[in-house]
Parts: sequence; C-alpha cells; structure tokens
Amino acid sequence: MKNSLPDHRKERGLSQQALADALGVSRQTIISLEKGRYDPSLPLAFKLSALFGCQIEDLFQPDAE
Amino acid sequence: MNTEQETKARWGRSRFGGSQAMLIIVSLLAGAVLSAALTLVWWNFGPSGDPQRRLLAALAFGLIMLPAMFGLCWVLLLDRSTLRGATKNPEISVESQWYGKAAVGVFQDILLVCGLGAAVLSFIEVQASIGLVLAGVVALSMADFGVRYLLIKRAEG
Repeated sequence: MKNSLPDHRKERGLSQQALADALGVSRQTIISLEKGRYDPSLPLAFKLSALFGCQIEDLFQPDAE
Repeated sequence: MNTEQETKARWGRSRFGGSQAMLIIVSLLAGAVLSAALTLVWWNFGPSGDPQRRLLAALAFGLIMLPAMFGLCWVLLLDRSTLRGATKNPEISVESQWYGKAAVGVFQDILLVCGLGAAVLSFIEVQASIGLVLAGVVALSMADFGVRYLLIKRAEG
C-alpha cells in the first residue's frame, strides 16, 4: 500500500517521534508505515486521518493491480 | 524534558502510588514471599529422596523462582503509564504485528515438532520425564519466538 504520510507529517513540521507520541505508538511504527512495510490497522488509520484532518484515502492508496 | 517525561521512570511506579524505589522493594519482597511459598509447596509435595539433595534442590527451586516471581509482582503492581519508553497504544504499533507473526510461526513449529516427534516415538521406545519434555518444548518455543521476532524485525523494520 502506498502512502503520503511523510508529506503530511513534514507539512505540519512534525518529527517521526512527535507523530508517534501523538498517536501513542512507537517511532518504529511510523518508520515502517512511511517505508510502506506496515499496513496500519483500521484504528490506527482513523487516528492518522483524524490527526491530519483528512480522509483515510488521502493518506493511503492501494497498490495498482 | 516536559512534565510528562519527568513523571516517567525506568522501572515505572506502582498503580497504588509511591516512588520507583518503593515499587521495586515491594515487588522484591512480594516476589520473595511467593517464591518461598512455592518452595514450601514443592518441599511438601515434590519428589522424595535423600534429605540433603532435597534441601539443595529446594534452594535451587527457590532461587530460580525468585526472579520470575519478582517479575510477576512488578507486572501486576506497575502503572504502565509511568514506565519510560512505553507506548500508549502498543496494540496498534508495528511491534504488535511482529509479535503476532512470530507467535503464529512458533505455533506451527510446535505442531510440526510435536507431531513428528510423536510419530517417531511411536516406532521407537524412549523413556523420558514428562516434566523435562514439557520444559524442553517451552524452552524451544521461547528460543524459536526470539529468533523469529528478530528476523521479522530485520526484514520489516
């Protein structure tokens, strides 16, 4: 799954650690998300969309088949 | 350092209040009491034999149980929100997914090892203590989990 998490994060001037703290997850989670190695659970996706004030689809896009 | 970080400690604090040192002391004392109680149970209901050997075995049993009981008491008494470095939502962190994947792998390995072991032992006669076999399975599972978790972490981290 592709994602635009790094862009949204940098747009708000957040470090990976700051975003992790805001979500209550480990920094490794943010690193894995941004590298596309971790597909978030629905609760985490909703938390991210609420934090950035956008839709989940704005953050995550499925890979082209 | 902000206030939230300042209130957090390496070993955390008790859910009933008090300092980090207090939590460690209470956990140590409660762990020692539990360990002594379990050793007493072992002494009364454990295998019989030479009294001197039993005494040594009881001491070894108590010493081995001590760190485990300390850990158990610490976990039960700890207020997780006071533990430095602990995330608020571990269940949605990537480590939780790694844990799940490693645990699934270990489950499959146990099925395979125990299944194959049972099949082989149906052909050859081997006498072994059930306690030792179970302890071996537990040790193997723990080692298997550790290796699998590290490999998954390296591949997906």
